[in-house]
Amino acid sequence: MGTKNFLYSVYLCFFITISFKVIRCERLREQIYSSIEGGAACFRRLNGTHQAGCSSSLNGEVGVVQMVYNISDAQWLVHNSTAGPYMAVVSTALYYDVIELLLQEPANIAGILLYDNATMSPEFFSQESKCPNEYSSDPHLSQCVKPGGIVWNEKGTGLLRRDIPYPIFFLPKTRIDDVSKIEDCYNRYNLDRDNQKGRPLCSLQLNSFMYAAVNSVVCMRRSASSVFLSSNKVCDPLGDYNVYYSLFPRAKETEATKKPVTLVTARIDSASLFDGIAPGAASSVVGMVAHIVTAATLSKMIPVTDSKLYDQNVLWTLFNGEAFDYIGSQRIAYDLSRGAWPPVAPLSPSDIRLHVELGQLGGSLSLFKSSASWPLYAFAPYSSTNATASKILEFLGEMSTYSSLNNITVSPKFTSNIPPSSLHSFRRILRNVTDSGSLLEILLVDHEENFSNLYYESALDDYEHIGYVYHNISISNEGVFISTDELLANGTMKETEAQVKIANLATTLAHTLYQQIAGKPYTGTVKASAHLVDEMLYCFLRSQACRLLLAADYASSPDEPPAERPLPLYVGVAAWASPPAVYAGHLLALLTGGHLRGNKSDCDNRADTGFSYYWLRGWNHSGVCIETTMNFSQAVSPAFIKSDYDLTSGEFSTWTESVWQAIWARVFVRASGAGARLAAVAGVLATAAAAVVTFWLQRDAALVFVDAPPSVAGIIRTVNC
Amino acid sequence: MTLAEFFSCSLLAFGPPFAMFALTIANDPVRIIIMIAAAFGWLVSFLLSSLIWFAVSPLRSYLAFGMVFAIIMQEACRYGMYLLLRKTEAGLKEISENHEICSNKLEMAYVSGLGFGIMSGAFALVNVLADSVGPGSVGLKGGTEYFFVTSAAMTLCMILLNTFWSVIFFNGMDTKNYPKIMWVIGSHFFVSGLSLLNKKELYVVTILPSYIILIVTVVIAFKCAGGSSKGLIQSFTGRPLVVEN
Repeated sequence: MGTKNFLYSVYLCFFITISFKVIRCERLREQIYSSIEGGAACFRRLNGTHQAGCSSSLNGEVGVVQMVYNISDAQWLVHNSTAGPYMAVVSTALYYDVIELLLQEPANIAGILLYDNATMSPEFFSQESKCPNEYSSDPHLSQCVKPGGIVWNEKGTGLLRRDIPYPIFFLPKTRIDDVSKIEDCYNRYNLDRDNQKGRPLCSLQLNSFMYAAVNSVVCMRRSASSVFLSSNKVCDPLGDYNVYYSLFPRAKETEATKKPVTLVTARIDSASLFDGIAPGAASSVVGMVAHIVTAATLSKMIPVTDSKLYDQNVLWTLFNGEAFDYIGSQRIAYDLSRGAWPPVAPLSPSDIRLHVELGQLGGSLSLFKSSASWPLYAFAPYSSTNATASKILEFLGEMSTYSSLNNITVSPKFTSNIPPSSLHSFRRILRNVTDSGSLLEILLVDHEENFSNLYYESALDDYEHIGYVYHNISISNEGVFISTDELLANGTMKETEAQVKIANLATTLAHTLYQQIAGKPYTGTVKASAHLVDEMLYCFLRSQACRLLLAADYASSPDEPPAERPLPLYVGVAAWASPPAVYAGHLLALLTGGHLRGNKSDCDNRADTGFSYYWLRGWNHSGVCIETTMNFSQAVSPAFIKSDYDLTSGEFSTWTESVWQAIWARVFVRASGAGARLAAVAGVLATAAAAVVTFWLQRDAALVFVDAPPSVAGIIRTVNC
Repeated sequence: MTLAEFFSCSLLAFGPPFAMFALTIANDPVRIIIMIAAAFGWLVSFLLSSLIWFAVSPLRSYLAFGMVFAIIMQEACRYGMYLLLRKTEAGLKEISENHEICSNKLEMAYVSGLGFGIMSGAFALVNVLADSVGPGSVGLKGGTEYFFVTSAAMTLCMILLNTFWSVIFFNGMDTKNYPKIMWVIGSHFFVSGLSLLNKKELYVVTILPSYIILIVTVVIAFKCAGGSSKGLIQSFTGRPLVVEN
């Protein structure tokens, strides 16, 4: 139907909308508004003392569109604009230069629409603070905030931790059409900057109203229902599940047979300012994939049945929620300190001999994309003259014999300035064992000073920025992966590729760990497969509908494959188990666990206390019973489980996430008011004229209507008689 | 800004009919009943025309088709109202406390016409008004922000036209003067046909001829009701002695 459906078209439209809805009749509303789909909104999180993130008013913020193409546009917007408030439409390339300006003077700004443009990719982009998790870092291990200290995330703007006075929406590359829609409208109405007042102007409305406010203390109180008042939930604590798996089953260990463990950890989660976007490629995925592949490799080198031959064990742990003041590692350290982790056969902190964390590893992959070598750094929180340092050097020495075979260099860094990692949690909560050096700690990262990853915990921390290209090699029905050497020999992969480097790191680490627990150098031929790395990176970076995750899914889950997009790695709220931890856990189980024969009921009926059993789909999708020591433990901050905890004390992570109802954005033209003024004037005149004429004619009816046709007189007379 | 649009457009479209209602109809319950009955009559015509529109599914997307049947149904219902009022006139007069009612035979025609018009205007404008509250206005996909005020002006025109068409139609029926009825139906088709041009955003082309038709219709209705221009002029210059005799 045409633009101006009027009278009869409106009649018909009305009729359709209220009754049948048979054909699609374009409502006037659709002529006025065009919704911006696929935008991700910045939302509100709260900690014990502050609120962070964005919220709009209940009905959304409305502002005049202003495309910000350079810094002077932003300056004009803040200082000289007249028809405010404005919505600044900013590309990610310009974000760093203008965001402070737009935040400093929020009076004239109604919100920001940030869009990613494929042709102008920024060189850095991070909403994380310069010193991530600075308030939950161990003060003795962190010099980031001190003057002269190394600022880890140099280009971080810290928006993730700041209270932003207006909504911010993010449009990914794939939604660039929406940006050109806004730009068209802007070019038609808003170009004459000096005469914007009193003109129709292209405008944007962003709605992301958040229910929670002030801080976690207040919003938790408002969420709790009391005897007198029932209340709606306004915020939920952040949290999810940690994943752990031990090389040998630990459940049947007694005090006498207890084996000391080496703890190998990495993190699952990443974050971004925007809802539903947390790719975390360099921030977390590379470390996590290296971790899982190392675990898989070591399990091939040491069969679980040989557990009696070794007097040490390896405990692989994936932390969740690390982006928000180390939720996962704080909880595990806290549980270790009270003898409650793992839930079956708890460890005491003194049982842990060594803690190796695979930290942030992806950032330098693109820096060294033309070279086969990959320099890594092993941060250890000891002074180099300390006796503990020599133990670390011993470990690194063993490691270097394997790493040099794999084109990797690991340089030790003995320092009291440790990059953001779970080491900080262990230091703070298990001080007596970590300080004394009875629990050795090493952090493996790819940067010596500032992060090599310039997209730390942002929406652009994706596969492109680590230079990952998927090879799409099929997996055999037995789950055999092509070895790295074969792939290199037949030219499928090159030594410079991320997959090969990560596989080399996994090989190095697995061989080193073998030497640690066996006490002798590894002489076998088992190596990590770059093919496996390729597949696993694809699962976490490109599409969750991938071969590995399909095989690792529950056999009972519905057949429809998951969406073909990467999973956001944001930790989410504790009330919901989010998929990343489940996927990581299942992958560990599938790749390291025993594949038993039998059907589903056999699998369900098995009860060996040392293991748990999962009925997964398996490589040929016919179902397989997995015997594994993999398990999940809660990753909810101790702050929310200690009954008498003071949320303002800052001891543990207190992050909560606000509840919201609807997030939407739309573009439209705002009236200048000329139409309304015209209608008002015409309405007043017409009404007054009608009143005067009617009054006049009625008063003088006898005079004016002299030839009035007579009424049906006959009947009336008879009735009236 | 946009709430102002809502109220000023409502005023433009419904202010004059409201003034007419308040001055001529509101003080007499029988007139109110007749007006409501006429409004109901318009609703019936709308229901029937939409049923036809719905039944003939291949032509649903053609606006002109629905429009033609809507006009035919409206005129049929206007005739129905005429029959109804002529049958009940005496009874209505009986129950009315005001025996002056129907001193002019076309008074009922005016009252029912206003009822007819107000209901059609309400239906025409209610969706537009609902979207005028904002914050947006027409313009994103073409069109101007004057859409709302033109819609309101056009609605006002239709309300007034319906009022005076009824006067002419009833008079034409009473006097078997078929050219008058032809004028009513013909101008109805003409004005509605003009509104199809709104699709092309030719607002001036729609509104100007529509208001010219309205003026012509008002003049004819004035004549039908027995109005004389001499009497009108006299009403301005003072009451002549002739009448008092």
